[in-house]
Amino acid sequence: MTGQIHVTVAGMIIALFIAGAIGATLWWMVHPAPSYVQKLAQRAEHELERLVGSLIVVFSPEIDSSHMMALAAKLARGEKSHLLALYVIEVPFTLPPNAAMPHEERIAMDALAAAETIANKYGVNLRTEMIHARQTSQAVLDIARQEKAHLIMLGSFREGKYTGAPLSHTIETISAYAKCDVLIGVEGKHGTLLVDEQALQVAER
Amino acid sequence: MSLEARVVEKRKPQLRRAVKPWGSFAWGYSDVGADIFVGLGLVLGAAAGASNIAFLFAGLVYVCIGLAYTELAATYPVAGGGQYFVLRGLGDIFGFIAGWAVLLDFTIDITLFAWSCVDYLSQLVPQLLTVPHPVTHFVVVLLLICGLCLLNVIGIRESTAFNGIVSGLDVVSETAILFFGFFFAFNPQLLIHTMQTSWPTTFQLMNGVSLAIISFVGLESISQAAQETQRPASIIPRTSISLILTILIFALSYSNLALGMQPWSGHGAPPAPMMHGHNVPLWAYLGNGENNGKAVAVLASYVPFYGALAALYVPLLGSILLLISSNSGVFGSSRIAYAMSTTQLLPSFFQRVHGRFRTPAASIIAFTLVAIVELIFAALPSLNTHAAMIYRKFFHGEDGITFLGDLYAFGAATSYSFVFIALIALRLYDPLSPRKFKIPFNIPMQIRGERVEFPIVGVIGFIGIGSILVFTMITHEIGRFAGPAWLICGLIGYLIYRYRKGLPIWRSQRHNWRVAQVDILRASGELELMDEYTNNLRESERRREEARQR
Repeated sequence: MTGQIHVTVAGMIIALFIAGAIGATLWWMVHPAPSYVQKLAQRAEHELERLVGSLIVVFSPEIDSSHMMALAAKLARGEKSHLLALYVIEVPFTLPPNAAMPHEERIAMDALAAAETIANKYGVNLRTEMIHARQTSQAVLDIARQEKAHLIMLGSFREGKYTGAPLSHTIETISAYAKCDVLIGVEGKHGTLLVDEQALQVAER
Repeated sequence: MSLEARVVEKRKPQLRRAVKPWGSFAWGYSDVGADIFVGLGLVLGAAAGASNIAFLFAGLVYVCIGLAYTELAATYPVAGGGQYFVLRGLGDIFGFIAGWAVLLDFTIDITLFAWSCVDYLSQLVPQLLTVPHPVTHFVVVLLLICGLCLLNVIGIRESTAFNGIVSGLDVVSETAILFFGFFFAFNPQLLIHTMQTSWPTTFQLMNGVSLAIISFVGLESISQAAQETQRPASIIPRTSISLILTILIFALSYSNLALGMQPWSGHGAPPAPMMHGHNVPLWAYLGNGENNGKAVAVLASYVPFYGALAALYVPLLGSILLLISSNSGVFGSSRIAYAMSTTQLLPSFFQRVHGRFRTPAASIIAFTLVAIVELIFAALPSLNTHAAMIYRKFFHGEDGITFLGDLYAFGAATSYSFVFIALIALRLYDPLSPRKFKIPFNIPMQIRGERVEFPIVGVIGFIGIGSILVFTMITHEIGRFAGPAWLICGLIGYLIYRYRKGLPIWRSQRHNWRVAQVDILRASGELELMDEYTNNLRESERRREEARQR
């Protein structure tokens, strides 16, 4: 009754059929055709990949983008994007283009160092660049073109006082003329940055 | 209604749709996949050389059942399964009977699989064997059932991920066993010889067929999880068809391998199959009372090369899968009872939720007690010699696991019969609901101005499962009495409950199924089907209006 190995052609064919049929069935099962809404979602995901291939986060004395930098770092980590933190120092027309502006440069260094810290925290590679320009908006547009950026990220407008408009002329120009997508992060309760919080609380009381 | 109230109403908690294709398959597989671990030995013991034919017959009926469940679950993706389909297609009283039969199956599920789980463990721990240690076996099974009840009351349940891992391991393991078995030990001449020399009597074959159906019970689980499945109308047909094919391939392969395999006697192999000091064919060894509860593990140990490894882990993997299946009986019974209670087919007692654990504790405990009664009834002949004599006199001396198998087959055959009728009724009376999956081979016809398709497979399946029900009644002494007794007791209880509540006794309550269907499709995220359904309704109304004007 008992015996050693008994290999037959029929047995081999059945064995291979079992393994093949089970494998093919399960493969077919886990690959269903996407539904209409899934196709929409897939398209949106592809858009995102296109959107975040190369990111530029813009800083300037007028634009505070530190919270956008954190967002950019998170995006870059997930999508393995190229990330550039760009600080633009606007040189007034009353000064020569190569005029030294140590105070502004010191502030820029702090902003870019903070950006690097954020990038390190998320484990993404970040290039930083500080440039002098006559106009922030034109400089950003030029750099975006050179870098073939997919997305420019900007923070809120920051000035000495709140003018009633949440976006400055610079931000409006960038969003109007950029060849790529622009993401503008205006912080909640718009203009909060520009409003004296204590005075507001007093007024609310 | 105030805005806040509306917001609160909208935020009512719903089951999260997190089950993906593999998860849905795993829910079904952890229930049906365990059946072959129990069914193989029982069928080999009953149908001998025609076990493969018994599995083939039951398998063909199972394909029809699977197709019916697939169509219905994809059309009505709600947690309720067969009971809901019958309620919707045939009305309250038949919904109750089908649900009550499913409840019998779930309670048997608890006991049968806990019993078999201990049998498989006994392959590694001989102290758990039924024959020399019936008391230990009984106590361990009882403790397992009580433990599962407790876990379900406090709300701990195995996760979809755990089910998925165990199912994946088991699919790979069973495929490997069959691959090595067929490749290195299958002898077609031996298969033909066994079929010729050990062909059973007609009675034995009917008995084998009625037991073979238990290897295919549990498709219900995929329907049960429909409400938690992503895109159920698209995913469930795939997972159901995959499950049907996988289980069919396993059942037919195991039965043919058991009949035509030459046991390995090389290095690492167990002793040759022997009974009473004589060599016996492998199939007879697997089907005897000692091994029929753990046949897959014993067969695996005789597979060349792979058997040595399989002998170590198959008993453990099998027992885990069987325990999951037993657990699915505990929560499945409470879930069905809860659903039946919400549609006023059972008293509101079954809706009671535990104050602290937020689980339907009353249902869980009630049906666990039923399972314990069934366990006592099954274990009695091995525990007490007087009881054994009574069983021998009245029930042909069936052993405990066969008794449980009888009832399991009865409950499954009854509920499946109703599901086939419900399928036909819903095809005729609800042709407007979009069917993403439709069983092939239909006869087109017109009923009340609507084009309907009469399912031929539904009729074939009904005849098939009806014949298995008849085989069960003819061949199983206990099943013949205990099964119908369960149904009659339940029906009496149902009639009393409906009478006391002032609800229609023989007729159904009013249901607005059209509104319900829109809600079901919206809740399941099948928005395209929802649009199709509302369009179908609009078109139907327009046609009727035109007919009236003419």
